Formats: sequence, C-alpha cells, structure tokens
Amino acid sequence: MPAVKTTIGRRTLGEVIKRLLLFDLFKGLFVTFSYNWRALYEKREGGNPNQAIYTEQYPLERPRVSERFRGAPRLNLDPETGQTLCIACDLCALACPVDCIEVGSIRREVREGEKVNKKKVLTTFVFDTSRCMFCNLCSEACPTDCLELTQSFELAVYHRSGFRWDREMLEKGIDYVRYAK
Amino acid sequence: MNVAPNNQIPNSQGLVKGMHEQEVEIAPGTLFDAEEMVINMGPQHPSTHGVLRVILKLDGETVRDLDCDIGYLHRGVEKIAEHDTYAMITPYWDRLDYVAAVSNDLCYVGGVEKLLGVEVPRRAEYLRVILTELQRIASHLLWLGTHAIDIGAVTVLLYAFREREEILKIFEDFIGARLTAHAFRIGGLWWDAYPEFDKRVRDFLKILPGRIDEYETLLNANRIWLSRTVGIGILPADEAINLSLTGPVLRGSGVNYDLRKAQPYSAYPEFDFEIPLGENGDTYDRYLVRMAEIRQSIRIIEQALDGLPEGPVMAKVPKVIKPPVGEVYFSIEAPKGEIGVYLVSDGTTKPYRMRIRPPAFINLQSLRRLSIGHLVADVVALIGTIDIVLGEVDR
Amino acid sequence: MMIDECGTERQSVLRSSIINSQFINHQFNMLGILTTLMFVAPEWVRRWTKEPRGNAFWAEFVLWPLIQILLVLFIVLTIVAYLVYLERKVSAFIQARLGPMRVGPWGLLQPAADGLKLLLKEDIIPLKADKAVFQIAPIISVVSALVVLAVIPWGAAWATIANINIGLLFVLAVSSVGVLGLVLAGWSSNSKYSLLGALRSSAQMVSYEIGMGLSIIGALMFARTLSMSGIIDAQQADGVWYVFFQPIGFLVYMVSALGETNRAPFDLPEAESELVAGYHTEYSGFRWALFFMAEYTGMIVTSAIAVTLFLGGWQFPGLNLITNKTVFAFVSIGVFAAKILVLIYLYMWFRWTWPRYRYDQLMDLGWKWMIPAGLANIVLTGIWYVLALPKSQGGLWGFMALKGDRLVPTKWGIAYFVATGFAVTIPIIWIVLASINRRSRDFNLHAQRQLQIKLRAERLQRHSEPAGESAS
Repeated sequence: MPAVKTTIGRRTLGEVIKRLLLFDLFKGLFVTFSYNWRALYEKREGGNPNQAIYTEQYPLERPRVSERFRGAPRLNLDPETGQTLCIACDLCALACPVDCIEVGSIRREVREGEKVNKKKVLTTFVFDTSRCMFCNLCSEACPTDCLELTQSFELAVYHRSGFRWDREMLEKGIDYVRYAK
Repeated sequence: MNVAPNNQIPNSQGLVKGMHEQEVEIAPGTLFDAEEMVINMGPQHPSTHGVLRVILKLDGETVRDLDCDIGYLHRGVEKIAEHDTYAMITPYWDRLDYVAAVSNDLCYVGGVEKLLGVEVPRRAEYLRVILTELQRIASHLLWLGTHAIDIGAVTVLLYAFREREEILKIFEDFIGARLTAHAFRIGGLWWDAYPEFDKRVRDFLKILPGRIDEYETLLNANRIWLSRTVGIGILPADEAINLSLTGPVLRGSGVNYDLRKAQPYSAYPEFDFEIPLGENGDTYDRYLVRMAEIRQSIRIIEQALDGLPEGPVMAKVPKVIKPPVGEVYFSIEAPKGEIGVYLVSDGTTKPYRMRIRPPAFINLQSLRRLSIGHLVADVVALIGTIDIVLGEVDR
Repeated sequence: MMIDECGTERQSVLRSSIINSQFINHQFNMLGILTTLMFVAPEWVRRWTKEPRGNAFWAEFVLWPLIQILLVLFIVLTIVAYLVYLERKVSAFIQARLGPMRVGPWGLLQPAADGLKLLLKEDIIPLKADKAVFQIAPIISVVSALVVLAVIPWGAAWATIANINIGLLFVLAVSSVGVLGLVLAGWSSNSKYSLLGALRSSAQMVSYEIGMGLSIIGALMFARTLSMSGIIDAQQADGVWYVFFQPIGFLVYMVSALGETNRAPFDLPEAESELVAGYHTEYSGFRWALFFMAEYTGMIVTSAIAVTLFLGGWQFPGLNLITNKTVFAFVSIGVFAAKILVLIYLYMWFRWTWPRYRYDQLMDLGWKWMIPAGLANIVLTGIWYVLALPKSQGGLWGFMALKGDRLVPTKWGIAYFVATGFAVTIPIIWIVLASINRRSRDFNLHAQRQLQIKLRAERLQRHSEPAGESAS
C-alpha cells in the first residue's frame, strides 16, 4: 500500500534554499492574491464554482431549488374536481418517525353516481412542521400522491403556533412575505 | 518529595477529582509551584466542534491533564430505534454524523438488508458507492476547513466549503436534501439518478483536483502549518490499535486497515483504489492521509460512473419489513472510521435492540493520550485532527 | 421587579450604566465642540495671528495644535472605521465571498451602522470583575495608540502636529504603554481565557518591542536624527529610501510590527480558536470597540513608522515638481496615506493567508530570529558605515561626503550601501541565524520544562533536608 509522502528524511539542497527564501509563504500569498485580483474585475455570478466570488446573495438572488427537494408539505387536490385526493387512510401518520401528522376522518355516506357508499372522509389534517424532519417517508407511503413535500423552503414563522399547519394551509400553502431587498 | 496540596487547585464542581495523577509532582516554593489552572473549553467554545466540553488542567500553557465531558447532544437514538419500524429508523441515522449522513445511511440500510437477506440491484450499489464517496469528500473537506481554521488558516475553510457546496447541490438534486439526506431505502434507492447526474458529477470531479492542489499550496509546505502539525500528537501504531481507533486516525499511524479493502461491502471489490497510509502518526500525517483519501475517492467515483450498469434501483422488498429472528453486525468505512450497526430482530416490525458503533466516539478517547504534554493551542489542533462530530459522539 | 441576592450588585451596575450614559452624552458634547471648532477655528486663527501686538503664542501652541489634533483624530478614527470595512472586503475577496453588501451601496455605510450598534449596546461589566480597572483598561489601550499620532509626519510643512526632536523614541515609549491596557483588561475581567490572553500578549509585545527597537537603529545611523520629519528629510538628502540600505532592518521591523500589533500570524492574544477572544473576551459594546480602535490605530501607527523610516515618508520621485505649497502639502499627505495603505493591505493579506503560530514558536521567532537579526544588522551596518566614511575621517574609500553639517553618501556610496545591504548583510545574517538555530527544531518545550521541574525539586529537597522545616 502506498504511504503518503511525509517529512521524514533530510531535506534536499533545493528545498533548503526554497525554505530560506520563504518560497512556501509566498506560494500561499500568490494563491490568495490571485483570488483577490480576480474578484475585483470578474463578472459575478452567484453559485458558480469557477468564479472568484461564489456568494449567492440570497434574498436578492433566489436559489435554484431542485425538483426532488423536500420542503414544505402540501396536500394535493384533484385538478379536475378540486376535491382533496386524500382518502384518510392514515398511512402517512403511521409512516412518520416523529408522529408529526394527525389525520382526522369520519365515516359518512358518499353519493357516487347512483350508488351511495359508506366511506372514510377526511375532516382535519394537522402537520407539525416544527417536528418534521423532512424524510419523505409520509409522501412515499401515500397511495394517492396526495401528500407531497414541495420545493418551498422558507418555513420560518414568528410564533410556535405557526408551525402547526392545518388542512387549509396544507392545501393552499402559506403566504410568504418575500423580501425584495 | 513534596506534593502540591490538592485543595489549591481551583476545582470546578469537583469534576477533576477523578482525574489521573500528575506526571511530575511539584514542590511548593519553586518557580513552578504556581497552582495548576483548570479551564473549561466548551461546550460553548469556537473550536470544540460542537458541544464537546474539555476540562483542561494547565500548568502555564502546558496541558497536564485533560478530561472530555460529553453528552450535551444525547438524544437516545438507540432507544428510539426500539420503538420505530425498520424503515422509520433511517432518518435518525442521518443525524448521527450529520456531516456524513449518506455514509451512515449506507451502514444502517446495509445492516437491515443483511438481516433480511435482500440482494440489492447492481445499479443501486454503484449509485450508493458514488454517493458515499462524494459524502466522504464532503466530510473530509469540512474537516479540512475546520481543522485549518483551528490552526488559524481561515481562508482554507471558505475554499473547502465552496467545493462542499457543489457536492451538496448534487445531493440536493439526487436525494432531495443537502445535509440530512435520507439517501437510501432498505433494498436500494428511492430515486434513480437524474438525467444530468453523470455530467454534474464529472464536472465537479474535473475542478476538484485543482482545488485540492490549491489547499495544499496554502498548507502543505507552509512553515507555520508544518510547525503546528509535524510532531504534534504522535500516536504509534500499536497504541492506535489498542485504543481501537479506526479511520484516517488509525491509518495516519501506518496501520493498513480500511473496511473497503479488509472486509469489502457493496460494490467496492470492483474498484481499483489505494489506501493512503501515514508514517509518523502525527497531525501532519493524518492531514496528508485525508487529502490523499479525497484523491482516491475521486478515482473510485470516476470508475463507478464509467461502469454504471443499467437496471432497477430498488430490490423487491415487502412494504412491511419483518426480518426473521436473528442478529447481525454490519459495518462500513465511514469518513471518520468504522461505523457499525448491531441489530437484534425478534421477528416483529421493530428491532429488539439496535447498537451503533460510533467511530468518532471511540476515536475521541485518544484525545487525552494525544494532548498531555502539549500546549493549549495544540489541543485545539488535536481535537481537529481526530475529526469528531458530536452528533455521533453523544448519539 | 425581581429582587435577588445580588440586588445590591445589580443596583451598582445600574448606577454605573447611568454614569456611562452621562459619559456618552459628554462625548456627544465633545462632538459638538469639535464640529464648531472645525468650521470656526480657521477664522480664529487668522484673527489671533494677525493681532497687532504680535502675540502668536496662543495661535502657535494652543489653537493650531488643537485644530490639528481634532482633525487628525477625526480623520484617523474615520479611517479606522473604514479599515475594518476594508479588512472585511479584502478578506471576503480573498475567500471567494462578497463581504458586507447590505448597508448602503456595496456596504459602504457598514462602519457607521456598526459604530452606532456598538454605541447603543449595553455595557456589560462582569459582577466579579475589578470594575475600575475593567473600565480604565480599554481607555489606556486606545489613548496610548492615539497619542502616538501626534508625532507622525503626515505630510510636508504644516501636516505634523508636533515635530519633536525625539519623535521616534516618543513613539516607542508611548506605544509600549498599550500593553498595560491589555494586561489590565485580561486581569480585571476575572476570566481565565482573558488572563491567558493577557499573559500571552504581555510576553509577546514586550519581546517583539525589543526586535522593533533594534531594527530601527540601522536606519537611524544613516538618518542621524530621531525627529520623524528629520528622518524623511535625511532620506531626501541622501537621495534614497532607507529600505534599500536596510533590507534586513525593514524585514525585522515588519515582522516585529505584526507581532507588536497582534496581527496574524501572531494574533495569539486573541486567538479565537483557542482563547475565544483573549484579553477582551468579557468586553462588549463600546469598550470592546475601543480595543478594536486601538488595534487598527496601532496598525496605522506601525505602518506610518515603517513608511517614515524606510520608505521615504511623504516623498515620491517627481513630487518636487509641484511648486504650489498648499497643493504640495496635500499631495504629500496623499502619498503618505497611500504608502500606509499598501502596508496595511500587506497586513491583511498575510492575515488571511497564513495559519497562526503557536505561543512558544512565536517566542522562538522573536528571540531566536528577530532579535539576533536586529543585533547583527546593527553591527554589520556599523561596519559598512565606518568603512564608507570620508577619507579624512578614517574611511577606506570615501564613499561619503560632508554636505553642510551632515554626511551624505555619494553616488558610489549609494551603490555601495545598497550592495552591502542586499548582497552581504542578508546572506551573512541568514546563514548565521540558520546555523545557530539549526538545532532549534529539536527543542522540546515540554521535555525542557519537565527536566527543570525535576531538577528544581531535587535541589529543593537537598536544601530542605538538613534544615528541617525551615525551607522557604
């Protein structure tokens, strides 16, 4: 197995001379100065690793959020009827490691065409985002693609109670205050 | 010989009473009879890497004795696991070594798969290797930055974080989270690679070697860096083994023990890579070993990308995971050392017992051995060189 | 209201904070006086100086210096605030960041916002601290840094507040008082981190002051005066900046100045990764800002001395073409400031590139490299100087000539001094130091210390055995 090059052994003459002339220190200075110099004239583009300045100025420049990002939860609605997709099966609540989901449902007669079926219907849905660890297990357990973790990531609120998202919030999403500056 | 009375030592809540005898007893009335100073480093100290509390017994600035006080971040993950189903435990593993979440996931998921006897698809194994090696690079970069900032080179931290950020972006696109990834599921992966994954990773691997050269220009030959690391905290190979250290701390002492070679798992036998070893076992060697490991990880990822097979990424695993009665130990080479899981199944959906072998916790015990006799400034460097993460130490 | 066992203590803290608020108001009044003076003073000066009785005493020794002092203080403190901004920007650009961007365009108003924040912050004094000393310490620190500004030749003609003939000695003497402020701060905080920081800083500053003092002597041999303006004039008369005569002196001075001002890689007293914040761990609000001001003023002062002594002060080739006296004075101030800025950029550049030395290594560097190098430089410079004296005074080649009442090197003399400085002095000192310090790498502080402890204990035991209990 190869060993890394360590400092064992005597220095060669070239190394001694380099050391006396402070080459090691100047090499580092050169690296940092080249960054400083490039930062002064290069056009800036946030988040590009090939440029001298990497900073994204977050509230001004919105970050690129990937498609698979697991952020704020959402309850999807049926795009045709506008009804919730949730069938109140409670699988998400069972899958959750931190018990942050509460599903409330009642059994009720639902008219489907001409038949009248007794069916479980969603009443309340509480999602505690302060406890959630965004592991996606609930969304994976959902049989109807109703519960989903979306790309919005600004979940800060001014009060603890704001972390408890009810069904309405989950279906509409919360109103963010977008800071322009 | 006279002994300095114990009650002269400023005692902080009796915490140092259990500490060990002094190396040399000090006679009163001498130049050196000044009381030893007990100083608390942490848990709110900028360079204890989290909430580690180190109680230092100082003679001037020389460390006479040292005691680590841990547990500020204890969550009881092992107990929590007894109440959760197998699938629900995975996200908790992200939060052990939270700078190397993907590696932790691989360990746990691999353990459950071993218990179940599930064969993971080859494509999934390859993707796992790619992600785990990227995580190793990210973890080593974070270690490099924090280690350098402890010794005073602030700029390296920012450079290292820039490259780590690129890895996190790749993770975000692949897994959906940056830090606490929840990368793997039992039986494979939840998501297949996204279309540009190959290109993104290759682009990153193209710029990374140049950047590593940059860090090494700043540090490798720098006389200040050398004087701060060479000969500091020398750990001979036999002592390192006796302390049951693993990972770069062990390999820095010249012991060739890497689970990827010694006890191959996942797709690692199919790749060609080398295990970098140190010679002197000092802080500088551990630094070099980690830098060399980053380069080896690049090699592995390139090979894995070249040979990435087609196929499914998820094995056929029942929705409700009910392993047979039995027990299993599975361990992998995490960036910090051997992370292992010991699972006891009683045939139900929840493990009867889960035990974690935490590398950072076990490596941390070498801190006392390393730092006695060095100066306060070296303690900071030594905490850095062991590369601890308190999420894993305290569990 | 909550009353606890520390009620009395709380009250006294409250009282002291009231006193402090009065103090701040007083400062605001001072600000008013300052602005009044700035606008009205020139009128006064004219009136006083044109007085028919010809009594120019007040104008010369009171009013004009006062105006200069206030102007310099105002400008320097503003520059100090913007040096912090500059430091943040430079560090950001070096580290692939942007730095302050949010307050004003490109964050230009950040110093004002920071200053306001620090003024409005609560002044926390730890309960167990020595209050009086704790309050005085930052003032000592900042005053000793600011007083030095009086003798610095900011520009030609009227731009120096006090052109005293022992200017350089004054600078060294006063700036060494600054260490007192740090020691008092560390001690009075009653915190272990502060104490360790103060111990480190006192040892460091005391030892690097020696190197600093030794390094300037070579240049003084050529200048033959201690007056700051006199040194600049001497460089003009000799026709060369002393950095070319004294490369080693300049190097030692710069390194010692880094150590003296506690800048990286010698920022041990406040090494944040080891000692949290060193001697000012317990300070907050404006008292902390005073330390900060002292540090940056110290940077300006040490750079100014370096510029004066080695880089020709406010001189620059071609500057003599300006005939208008006022314009010349302003341009000279600009040149001086530009030279200082270059040096300060060097300071920042070093800080954000290199790691930090350890305490014992720092002492090593100071005592084993800087001080011997300074000493050797004095000896060698003396030898070169004596050899170059005019033949009438016993020199060998007569590279110097008497011009007026001072010795000035001829053209060959300049070449001779530059050549000896670079080609002979540097290698000699380098080789001598490298050979005497060759074994210093083996030096193990821990082993040495253990040995000393053991020997001392043995000796003490030997002494105490026959005498019984009477060992002291």
